[in-house]
Amino acid sequence: MSFFFQELVNGLTVGALYSLVALGFSMVYGVLKLLNFAHGDLYMVGAFTGYFVLQWFGGAQGLTIPVPLLLVIMFVLAALLTGGMGVAIERFAYRPLRNAPRIAPLITAIGISFFLENAALLLFGGQYRVYNTPDFIPFSAGIQIGSVNIDAVQIMVIVLGTVLMVGLRQLVVRTRLGKQMRAVAADREAAEMLGINVNLTIAATFFLGSALAGVAGVMAGLLFNQVTNYIGFLAGLKAFTAAVVGGIGSIPGAMLGGLLIGVAESFITGYVSSTYTNLLVFGLLIAVMLARPTGLLGRAQVQKV
Amino acid sequence: MKGRTIIAASVLGALAVAGCGSSGGGGTNAGGAGGGTKACVASIGFEGPITGPVAVLGQEQLHFADLALAADNAANKTKISLDQGDTQLNPAQATTVTQQFTSNSKIVAVVGPAGSQEVEAVGPLFARAGIAFISGSATAAALTTGKYPTFFRVVSKDSVQGPQDANYIINNLHPKSLMIVDDQEAYSTGLVAAMLPIFQKAGIKVDHESVSQKVTDFSSLVAKVTPSTSVVVLPWQVAANAQQFGRNLAQQHKKAVIFGTDGLFSPGTFTIAGSYVSSFGPDITAIPADASIAAAAKAKYGSFGTFGPPVYAATHVIDEAIASVCKAGQTPSASNVLAAIKKTSEPSTILGQPISFDSHGDLVNGKFFLFKIDSSGKYNLIPG
Repeated sequence: MSFFFQELVNGLTVGALYSLVALGFSMVYGVLKLLNFAHGDLYMVGAFTGYFVLQWFGGAQGLTIPVPLLLVIMFVLAALLTGGMGVAIERFAYRPLRNAPRIAPLITAIGISFFLENAALLLFGGQYRVYNTPDFIPFSAGIQIGSVNIDAVQIMVIVLGTVLMVGLRQLVVRTRLGKQMRAVAADREAAEMLGINVNLTIAATFFLGSALAGVAGVMAGLLFNQVTNYIGFLAGLKAFTAAVVGGIGSIPGAMLGGLLIGVAESFITGYVSSTYTNLLVFGLLIAVMLARPTGLLGRAQVQKV
Repeated sequence: MKGRTIIAASVLGALAVAGCGSSGGGGTNAGGAGGGTKACVASIGFEGPITGPVAVLGQEQLHFADLALAADNAANKTKISLDQGDTQLNPAQATTVTQQFTSNSKIVAVVGPAGSQEVEAVGPLFARAGIAFISGSATAAALTTGKYPTFFRVVSKDSVQGPQDANYIINNLHPKSLMIVDDQEAYSTGLVAAMLPIFQKAGIKVDHESVSQKVTDFSSLVAKVTPSTSVVVLPWQVAANAQQFGRNLAQQHKKAVIFGTDGLFSPGTFTIAGSYVSSFGPDITAIPADASIAAAAKAKYGSFGTFGPPVYAATHVIDEAIASVCKAGQTPSASNVLAAIKKTSEPSTILGQPISFDSHGDLVNGKFFLFKIDSSGKYNLIPG
């Protein structure tokens, strides 16, 4: 039974990361109907930001500030930087193509993804950058229940991930900005006619989604310790899958999809074999899509004729 | 009119100079072939992961290729230059670089590529072009079965490493059960195929797992390491992944010892205390005859591991082959350099062992070296 719970914790941790990145995918798709393939690379930028903040304050073994303060600075700076980059990408790469055929911004998104990957390679080199998290957040700071080990970083990822997801959900449901985002997602032209500043709403959506990816990147750096310019690709792919399975455009769907993939990966690795993890996870996802083509929580769009 | 005359004269002058330069260049090679008094000029290619996930290894290989070239050019009075090609340890990228090299008539031989999967991709291209290529780190046994007639390597092969490592584990670590995890690349699956039958024959319970090289979270896999699993064998190429695997073991309070193959030899990156790592290359800092090379490398490029020295040896083999072609009065070309490489017989090398090749390009009497990582992260050679 302890094995089950260990794998559950492992799966929820990775799933929380997938969910955070998937949220950005889903939000952008919701307002622009655009698959933003550069999104995973903002996760990479977030991870690098966290790494350089860590180095700025003395590195893992020589920290000059308390760890909680370091974490706050890492997360806030990563969120602001990636959020700002998301807004800039939308403004200069996607907005000019807003009325172009849908393939144009899609190709642009792929181009932005390669640009960010290679810019990071140019700026930071190809070497692995290592957080060395256990040197400043020791494993002993975690908890052990029987033979189930949950380290402090895993707890932080699950708790912070949940808070951010619930917070985002509340923002979308209860605030004026959230209402504007939903209006733009439902019908951009109608929203504009009602006086909603569509450009500002879309920019805010990009900021929020990108900031979440940046935060997820820092979490990944703390959890997996290593950062390279390529980590965004796989994270982006998994997050995109999570968004589609959950129902692309649906915020609760993105959360559910991410957690589902994370937990499924963990259990298949644990109970079957790591050899078949991708085969069975994606097989499961195909089955879900066949049963519910709009995703688990997605809604079919009714088109009146 | 006067202006036109000046322009025409200038153009004619420039053409004459260019013509002299051209014939001079050709004459240099021809002269080198003829009398041996003029410079012996040639270009060789370098294929390695200069950027990408294992750039640290590729950079080290490139540094040692440069060192060998400088030393050999000075010793042999040759003018051999190096054309760099970045493969990122990616077979597709290696194919692109190889196509560039094989279409460049100046390149007479190539050092690299680094990975076995890359050799699989580029072997047919080099064979078709008749260009020799010598790897300093590709160890898959299948590469030297004769299918790539222009391939050579200065390191031993996995069919030596796999059994050597497996027997060491059985005889010295005495596991009752172990986990072996491949990373889904040719290098890794080849080693697993060589080790598995030996473990099974010894009656060891083996849990064979498989994860992509791109995966960075091993917590789910580590949860499967049982208390009776005393060894985890990782025939991987990304040292940072093995480091993370070790951290996941510590996080879940698992006591299993990691045994890594040569792809994980990366001091400074893979530093899990108590782990073992084998290597195709020796620690040249412990070989007295290599002291000057080690000092030069450290002074110019900083610390290094075992990926650089074999590339030094590979570059040296090509340099010597080119020099021998020139001494024989010929102009270096892909075919005569290939023929000279086949005849290589270096009694003493940077690797502390002689280099000569068998008919399939394999190093004759090659062996692997085993290291144990101490609590400070230092790699200590295990004698024997």
